[in-house]
Amino acid sequence: MRTTARLLTGTALAAVSLGALASPAAHAAPTGDLGKLEVYPSTAEPGDTVTVNTTACGKKGHGIGDAQSLGAGDFELSPGTHKDVVVGRFTVPSHAKPGTYAIAVACDNGRTATGDLTVKHGSGHTSGGHDSGGHSSGGHSSGGHDQGHDVPSGHVKTGVGGSVGPDTTRIAAGAAVLAASAVGGVWLLRRRASGAQDS
Amino acid sequence: MTDDTRAAAGNGTGTNAGAGTGAKGKGWGVAVAACVGLWLVQNGSAEPTPPVPTAAEAFAAGPHRHTDAAAAPLPPSAPVRVRIPAIGVDAPVMRLGLARDGSLEVPPAGNPNIAGWYKDGTPPGAEGTAIVAGHVDNADGPAVFYAVGSLKKGHWIEVTRRDGRTAVFTVDAVEVYDNEDFPDRKVYGPADRAELRVITCGGTFDEKTGYQGNVVAYAHLIGVR
Repeated sequence: MRTTARLLTGTALAAVSLGALASPAAHAAPTGDLGKLEVYPSTAEPGDTVTVNTTACGKKGHGIGDAQSLGAGDFELSPGTHKDVVVGRFTVPSHAKPGTYAIAVACDNGRTATGDLTVKHGSGHTSGGHDSGGHSSGGHSSGGHDQGHDVPSGHVKTGVGGSVGPDTTRIAAGAAVLAASAVGGVWLLRRRASGAQDS
Repeated sequence: MTDDTRAAAGNGTGTNAGAGTGAKGKGWGVAVAACVGLWLVQNGSAEPTPPVPTAAEAFAAGPHRHTDAAAAPLPPSAPVRVRIPAIGVDAPVMRLGLARDGSLEVPPAGNPNIAGWYKDGTPPGAEGTAIVAGHVDNADGPAVFYAVGSLKKGHWIEVTRRDGRTAVFTVDAVEVYDNEDFPDRKVYGPADRAELRVITCGGTFDEKTGYQGNVVAYAHLIGVR
């Protein structure tokens, strides 16, 4: 059951990323059979409890949520107090890195819902929600002054080199043309020499 | 045969009416052939190296910011694809961590058309410095960022993100650094706007130790689609 759900959510995630690739201009509005997953709060810190809900699973439905993208594993969704809505909760792991994570839910009825959760570090940056929060200083930026993550150092090893080597066909063609011209030259000289003798 | 060449041929045989001029023409033909052959051999044996940015594309050559226009940073969202229309780059983006020595990991060399993003840093389009790296070549020939060294100030770099938005960056400078003299702070350091670095190998090439440097394109967010 859990494996099936994981497979389903994996497929859903793949479909979402494929969709993003195919239509870069389209915003992340859910389309077709993909339901919208509401995520509260949409921006959270490690240790926070996040609640998600969706109507995709139908009345008195159930579903399995996938928060593995941020290391929180799977969680269950069950009917909430509102009609037609299933609700689930998970905790943002303490080791979750700042960033935006896709949360997917596979419903028992076969439908899928996805939503995004933004993880930030440092208190004081979470109140703004997902719109203004991105502008606050520190937080997710790669400053390396107050974050838990490291910044790369040194050069990158992004080349093998030498593979774009000498063009052997061009050299061969050149050598052939040279040889032909040498033969032609010798033939011309000899002909001229014999022609001079004749006259 | 065109009229021109026929006229030339007629001229050659007509006026001097002898084997001497015919041989002269053939002599020229032989000389031209020899030159072409020489050029082919020399051109073919030249060691082609990736383009290296000119001094005009460095920060030192001009205003620190070629344009002050900048777009407001976006909320973080992971990149999925990078495009650089000026040099024909259109590649998926994978996630990169850090190697043991603290340097940025690189994408698998076997795939010539894939770029990588430092996953624990800033996502492209968000406030801060986003880092994208890719190979200049692999064992089979040129790779995704072969032509980064030929980028010019003002060229566009587009990064499509998981949230469906495309962050459009404009190139501020393209510089090349020796491996031993890599300016960590300048390349990887924080920024108060949404900035992007595109890094690949470059500089001079040594048969034993490979590329001696990195080419770094600096860009900042100028629009969102």
